[in-house]
Amino acid sequence: MPANGIMMKQIALYGKGGIGKSTTSANLSAALSLQGCDVLQIGCDPKRDSTRMLMHGNFIPTVMDLVRERGDAQLKKEDVVHTGFHGIRCVEAGGPEPGVGCAGRGIIATFQLLEKFGALSGDVIVYDVLGDVVCGGFAMPMREGYAQEIYLVTSGELMSLYAANNICKAIKRLSSRVKSTCRLAGVICNAKDMPREEELVAEFARRVNSTLVQYIPRDRIVQLAELNKQTVIEFAPDSPQAGKYRALAAAVVKNNSLTIPAPLEIDALESLALEFM
Amino acid sequence: MPSNPLPLNSCRSGGCTLTGALSVTTSVRDSVSVIHGPAGCAHHNFSLLHATGLDNDHVAALNLISSGMQDMEVIFGGEDALGAAIRSAIRQDVSVVYVLSTCIVETIGDDVAAVCGRDWGVPVVRVPTAGFLGGSFQTGVSNALTAIAGTMPGRVLPKDPHIVNIIGEKNLEYEVEENYREVARLLALLGLTINVRFVHCTGINELAGLGEASLNILRDDEMQPVGDLLYRKYRIPSIPSFPVGLSGSLDFLKVTGDLAGIDPAPAISDEKDRQDSLLDGFSGTAGSMLRFSLTAPDLPANRAISEVIARLDLKVGKDGARVPMPPSPPVGTEGVRRMLHRWRRALNAGM
Repeated sequence: MPANGIMMKQIALYGKGGIGKSTTSANLSAALSLQGCDVLQIGCDPKRDSTRMLMHGNFIPTVMDLVRERGDAQLKKEDVVHTGFHGIRCVEAGGPEPGVGCAGRGIIATFQLLEKFGALSGDVIVYDVLGDVVCGGFAMPMREGYAQEIYLVTSGELMSLYAANNICKAIKRLSSRVKSTCRLAGVICNAKDMPREEELVAEFARRVNSTLVQYIPRDRIVQLAELNKQTVIEFAPDSPQAGKYRALAAAVVKNNSLTIPAPLEIDALESLALEFM
Repeated sequence: MPSNPLPLNSCRSGGCTLTGALSVTTSVRDSVSVIHGPAGCAHHNFSLLHATGLDNDHVAALNLISSGMQDMEVIFGGEDALGAAIRSAIRQDVSVVYVLSTCIVETIGDDVAAVCGRDWGVPVVRVPTAGFLGGSFQTGVSNALTAIAGTMPGRVLPKDPHIVNIIGEKNLEYEVEENYREVARLLALLGLTINVRFVHCTGINELAGLGEASLNILRDDEMQPVGDLLYRKYRIPSIPSFPVGLSGSLDFLKVTGDLAGIDPAPAISDEKDRQDSLLDGFSGTAGSMLRFSLTAPDLPANRAISEVIARLDLKVGKDGARVPMPPSPPVGTEGVRRMLHRWRRALNAGM
């Protein structure tokens, strides 16, 4: 049991590409760290920009790039784990150039290497995972006992809910495995400023057998912070938006409500969206 | 996306495209086959081809190179590894390099055709394979023959009316050489000789003469797409299959003679005499009861076997002596002779 009183939590944020997973992850990590947690954030996307705001705009070398350049036998833990804002440890899995190779396999290889280094430690590990669950490699954070708590990041837009619903299917499938510890921990609404958006996402969460853990409104301060190469937590700690991220962090720490999701059929999903138009 | 059209028990009828293609490309002398994939694919296929060759009393000098893909090549793409393997192949001073891909290569989408299409100084020929994604063993055989034919000069050559090509021998089948000799013997009865074995232990220079023949003899009807390609390329008509069984051999002589513009009657007469003599030699088995442990591999085999049973007055029943079913239809009169020898041994042993 760590000093701050919580068991190590391994959480993963999944959601549609461009929905704001990396922004949410980085601000969540920053808020958790300021609340006393030892945090490791792992970007699981070949774009390698998950941890950039925690590293003040710097792209850290990715695990896959380092393995390709030096070979895994030459690498040490400190080559792949970089310390960012408030001591948060940052890792980027990286991957191939778009259109070649297999990025999913790159995620698997990264996890194997981090295991070998004993780098998967701390109070909270935040896995920030590429868009949709496109193949088994990108489901890796949910498998093999890595992330046990999955948060869906979605807006009220239908395609975003559709992606979240698809991820529910993956969680449900993986939950059925005997050794699986992966569960749905909740839904985070990263809002697009649609009418009744919070209600819609909350209802979606309820229907897939989960809850809305935090509503994060759209706020220009997020873009401003990013242009200053910082998280909102660091750039504008007194802003209402920073308060939302801190509330999210608090909710994540105390959240023990883990469920096996009940994904919706597409017709039911579309009907739900219509109800809130 | 390929679905699985195969029966549940596909261990004999399915197989791997890569292995099928390798059974062809490794039979081209002066060539090297590059397997783009993990080393295990090359190892497994080398072992299979080598062991099968030994079973046919043929010590195969297999020239295989693997691109040796590992985790990094899977993650970042394996085109550089393929390039390195091709360079290594070219250093062997071979006339042609065949490049065959594996399941994982097609899964991650390496552009094998683009790598092969570079200026390597020697022909580097992509053979579409892709392991389980590419089809079956037989697809691999057809794809390899098609790819090799594609490298041959396309002009229609002057034909020699007395020479024929053999197309698509099953290089891994039991009795591949015996079957070839039997076809050669039957063709000789018509005054025809064999030009190119496409492909069985064949050199690149020999392949260049592929278009000079007046007729192509296909191993079986699965080779029809290759026969059609060669017709389009060289205007060479084809006979759809090696002769199967006794009457099948006589039919073969007739059709081949007619197509080659040769009167087949004398050859057919000689062959009938040979077949009568053959059956006389086995007349002691008349009235014997047989049973088969397997069903016939296909309809031509069924017909050929039924004919022999009828002409020798054999019986088939569950109390009969267990005799072996040939693994593939008996080719020609001599194929029937070998089959009958095996049956008679089984009858004599009272199995």
